[in-house]
Formats: sequence, C-alpha cells, structure tokens
Amino acid sequence: MFNILTTIILLSILVLNPRITAAQEDEIIPGVSSITISDARQSAIAFVNSSTSPGLEGATLELNEEDRQSSNWRSSLGFNAEFTLRNHIYDGYWGLAIVGGELNDDILLAGDQGETINLKVRRQVVALRGSLGLSFPITQQFKLLPYLTLAASELSTDASYQNLSDPLQNGSTNTSAWMYSTIGTIEAIYFQWHGHYKLELNALYHLIYTDSFSEDNPILATYDWNDALKLEGKFSGAANFNTLGHPWRWHTYANYTNFLSHNESSLGYTELIEVGAGLDWQINIVPLDWFGWQSLGIRLGVIFGEDVEGYNFGLTAQ
Amino acid sequence: MTTRLIFCLLLMVLTACVKAPVYKGDNYAYVKSSHAIININDEQIEPVYAVNIKSGNNTLVVLYRTYRHDYYCEFQWTSKPQTSYEITNQENKLPLTLYRWKRQNGLWASRLNPVDPVKCSKENDYM
Repeated sequence: MFNILTTIILLSILVLNPRITAAQEDEIIPGVSSITISDARQSAIAFVNSSTSPGLEGATLELNEEDRQSSNWRSSLGFNAEFTLRNHIYDGYWGLAIVGGELNDDILLAGDQGETINLKVRRQVVALRGSLGLSFPITQQFKLLPYLTLAASELSTDASYQNLSDPLQNGSTNTSAWMYSTIGTIEAIYFQWHGHYKLELNALYHLIYTDSFSEDNPILATYDWNDALKLEGKFSGAANFNTLGHPWRWHTYANYTNFLSHNESSLGYTELIEVGAGLDWQINIVPLDWFGWQSLGIRLGVIFGEDVEGYNFGLTAQ
Repeated sequence: MTTRLIFCLLLMVLTACVKAPVYKGDNYAYVKSSHAIININDEQIEPVYAVNIKSGNNTLVVLYRTYRHDYYCEFQWTSKPQTSYEITNQENKLPLTLYRWKRQNGLWASRLNPVDPVKCSKENDYM
C-alpha cells in the first residue's frame, strides 16, 4: 500500500544520500520512522490472508481509532464438502471458492519533526482458492479434518500521502501484486444432539505461507509466514415451517477469531468476536450426483473487537 | 465463438451428470450407500456400495466405521419398485440416514423422506 513510499522515497533517498543509515533505509516515508517497509509488507499480506483463508471471510468492519479510520469488507462464494473414499475409514474433503475484499485505510502518521502525514490506502483483492484434504471420524460426533488450501490472489493498491503542514509534499501511486498462499489447516468438529436441538463446536487453525510477486512494487516482492485461530459454537433447532416441502432450521452462533501472528498495526486489530443468528433451508440435494448440499441459509451477525465493529450478513451453504 | 463453444460443451457435460437409474427389473429398487452394505434381508454379503433389491419390506445393515467404534446400522423400510434410495452420513442423531433419491434434472438429485436406522449397534449381531 505504501507504494509511494517505496518507489519515490526509497529511490530518492538511496540515490541522493549514500550515507543513509540502516534505520532510515527501513523507513517507508522519509522522516516518519514510525512506519517501516516491514509494516507495509505485513499489512498487505495480513489483508490478503484475512480475506482468503477458509472460514475467516465474510465480514464488513469499521475501525475507529484516534489516528486511524478504516473500512474493510470481505466475502466469498464457494462450497466445501466431504466425499467418500471407499474401503477407508477416512473420507476426502474438498473446497473451492472465489473470494473478494476491499480495505480503505485513512491513517495519520506523526513525522519525526512533529509534522502530520495523512496516508490513504485502498486495497482490493480478488482470489481463487481450492482446498483438498481428509476427514478422520474419531467417533460418531467428533472428527478431525487436515487440509491444504492453495489461493491465488490479485492485489491492487492505490495509495496517497500528504504532509498536512506542507501541501506540496504529497504523492500517489497505483500498484499491483500477485500473492500465492499455501494454507495448512487443521479443523476439529464436534456435534451433539439433544432432542431436536443440535450443538456444534468447531476449532480451526491455519498456518499460512504467502509468496508475493510484484513488478511495480518491490516492497511486495516478499514472503511471510502467519497463523490464525478460529473457535465457533453453533446451536440450532427445527423451525416449524416448510418451503416447497423442505423444512427450515434456525440457529444462533458465536465465534472468536485471532490472527495470532499479525501485528496490530497491520489491520488495526488482531481479535474479533462475532455473535449472530440465521435460518437454514434444508434443501438436501446432490449437485452433479457428486456431493451433498444440505442447506441454503441466511445469517446476520454483529462483530466487535478493540476499536473495531461490524457485521456479517450473507448467504451460507452447507 | 470459442468461448461460446466451450460454454456449450461444459453445459452439456454438466447437465449429463445426474443420470436416471437403471433397475434390474420392474419389481426392483436400487440402493446406493456411502458406506458398505454388509447384510441384506438377514443374508450376509460381501461389502457393496450399490445394490438392486426386490421392492417391498427390506432390511439392510450398513457398516459405519470410526477410529473409536464400528457402528452396524440396521434399516427397515418398505421400498417401492423402480425407486432409488441413498444411505449417507449427514451428522444426524444416528450415524447414517436413508433417503429416497430422486433425479430432478441433469444437474442435481434430491434426498427425500429420511428414514433413520432402527438401531445402530457397536456389536456385529449380523454375522
């Protein structure tokens, strides 16, 4: 995002001042040591990871801090399911999705000389991801799913900065990057029926390796490792109505997401809590006579965290 | 033109995915299962995943395996002639559920009229 910084500033600094210090070399805006190239890289990768990793997508968020306001949405259209592997206890697991997201960041940075720099960054990502793995039924109610996801993401970034004390000191740039993420996931699922009610507990851990390539932004020619954790509880029951002969179920849910290795400055938050409710229409069909599609649902949740709030409204497919 | 041709070919392939079942005879029903069927009408068989059965009252035993236990799920129901059924795991109360399988079109089939097993025991009483 801080591409301005890279191309214009780094080059000019390196060319014009050969006696540059190591600390200055790592600055993305001259005279603003509070933000570094490493911050810019982590921020871009954190945005892509939080948008593309399975189970983490689906949110509209507003961050409101004293020196930073940002809005962020991410969403996906896809499906995942298990498939039978005959003569084995374990089953197969696959998933496929198209993912999109956008982040608008408006940040006030304090310069080393006391000036205020306004940095505006707009990132957009479109990604395609596919998952393949196994499902191990430990008991009837408990299973473990290790799976691997490959995601290819196209990231575009528009960035501009302005010294609020000196309107002539400003710049803007548009750059793009391709990011290829390999996500190793271990998911644990437990469910228990109580009459017509069903309790589901789900824990999911991602280990993410991201390789980034950019022809016009050398800062984003990099790689990084990250990890994230999500815990979810869901309670559902039968609703007393049918549509086209198929019953509905209601559900309530709560989940907690922790972007364990993200720096808080990357997105402005590292933890999110979401609570919500929804309805699932039990269509119970078998597309292409291949995999089961049990329900089509709608859900609405509120999301909150430190200085961040938002909502999640959308369709779900199971 | 090429894109349209590819799209049409893809559509033809996809719409041919769900085929109408072929029955052994007029009085037969067809059952397919995600897990091995090991016993039909009190007769032990080599594990199969699809079978033609005579319509009427039927009893099937299907083996659902986990790493902790094996479950022997017994289904009893009256099958109709020229009708397809499917046994699968959908994380219901009991490990497996039997559905009437109905081809809706070339793209999808429906699972209808769920039937729970009469019992799922951890002991194999069907040897």
